[in-house]
Amino acid sequence: MANKSNDPVEVWHTMLGEMEKGFNSFATQAMSSPEFSKVMNQAGGMAAGAQKQFDGLMEKYLVGMNLPSRSQLVSMAERLQAIEAQLSEIKTLLSRMQGKTGGADDTDGALAKPRRTRRPPSAAGGAQ
Amino acid sequence: MNAAAGSTLDLASVSERIQTEVQRAIQRSIKGVEYIASSGPTPGATPKDTIRSRGTMQLYHYRPMTDEIYRIPVLIVMATTNRGYILDLAPGQSLIEFLLKRGYDIYMLDWTAPKPEEKNLRLDDYVLGFIPECVRAVQEDSGETDVNIVGYCAGGMLSTLYASTHPDGPLKNLVCFTTPIDFTQMKMFQNFSDRRYFDVDRLVDSVGNVPAEMIMTSFDMLRPAARTMGQIQLWENIWNDEYVKSFRMMDKWGADTLPLAGEYFRQMTKDLMWENKIFNDTMTVGGREARLANIKVPILHIVAEHDHIVPYEAARHLIERVGSTDKEEVMLKGGHVSLVAGANAVKRMWPKLDSWLSERSV
Repeated sequence: MANKSNDPVEVWHTMLGEMEKGFNSFATQAMSSPEFSKVMNQAGGMAAGAQKQFDGLMEKYLVGMNLPSRSQLVSMAERLQAIEAQLSEIKTLLSRMQGKTGGADDTDGALAKPRRTRRPPSAAGGAQ
Repeated sequence: MNAAAGSTLDLASVSERIQTEVQRAIQRSIKGVEYIASSGPTPGATPKDTIRSRGTMQLYHYRPMTDEIYRIPVLIVMATTNRGYILDLAPGQSLIEFLLKRGYDIYMLDWTAPKPEEKNLRLDDYVLGFIPECVRAVQEDSGETDVNIVGYCAGGMLSTLYASTHPDGPLKNLVCFTTPIDFTQMKMFQNFSDRRYFDVDRLVDSVGNVPAEMIMTSFDMLRPAARTMGQIQLWENIWNDEYVKSFRMMDKWGADTLPLAGEYFRQMTKDLMWENKIFNDTMTVGGREARLANIKVPILHIVAEHDHIVPYEAARHLIERVGSTDKEEVMLKGGHVSLVAGANAVKRMWPKLDSWLSERSV
């Protein structure tokens, strides 16, 4: 392989790395000024306000069109997630109940409660 | 003679290099199409059960992988801005899997996006509500009174506040990763939230919960070139399946930033960014004094040498301020995320965590 100094791919990588460092450092310096903070927060405040207004208008428009809004879809997805979580809890409970009544067929390893007697490697003479 | 031989060698190696690059270019075209057409890998697949769920709070119990486990269960508290699967990316790249195989009983307090009706959640709800509720659930589920807590970033900060407001237990050992204490040293965040220009009340009152996009943008602004460079590096390495898999998981995680509950954000801005109350020893949570000196349990703080989110200057005071006698700070190579996930974490942080925790988990 070509050595690092004349390998064009290595030169390209070094150049990219340096460019990234340089740009990050330049941008960080620029963003450290109070002026940047002022402009950013003014723009951010306006954008947040505009977004809020737009969301309200869009919600009304979608209701008018008899279509679900994003927030309604998100809330439906969350309800589905909650139902999935409840199913998972019921499954866990059933697994435990089955374990307590001595049910067999522990295929997924969820039932067997391991012993809480493990010692650190130092106490066991370095063996695990 | 020698110069001529050297030049022949160089020509041969350059030709070999060109050949490799041409092959990679072809692979890039093929794999590039595959990349666009396929969905990414699914992280967070280590078998687990959700044992508690309340609003934004999710408590998982990971199924043990050994017949004999350490007596004291471990509760991992995730940062409120990010999903916990960064600690469980894929087999062989999962801190959770590593700890399970080393014989720990692992629980995780993870977060989902707070709903609009959860905009009033405050730090108090996290420190005096969610964490104690999960600790009780872990005690109940494991049958053990003692609990170890491991907190990452803001999760470490919440765990620290929990520990300082619950000096009588049942916390047995505390591990924090990259936990900020002196918020004046988080220079960029300080500038973004400069109280002369940043009207946090107006923001929270108008949006309710602080949008994930805003949180993500503020993280991206800490290293503005990183995302573009990431894309260039992806294109270069797209022939490498392992690289692409890791990239997609990290990219998915980065884009999966969570919104923050409005009141929690307001309180973080005023009490921590502006008043620096933890560092100044004036922090209270729900009327309880939250001084770091109240923490007396054994504590390990792992910090990253190149952390651009929580610089060492912001994190270094934790160990010197706590009241514990058994305390240790370890600085490891890496950044905020590579400290906990990726090849460096596997080599450096995971074994350190295991060696410290194993001695104290019996």
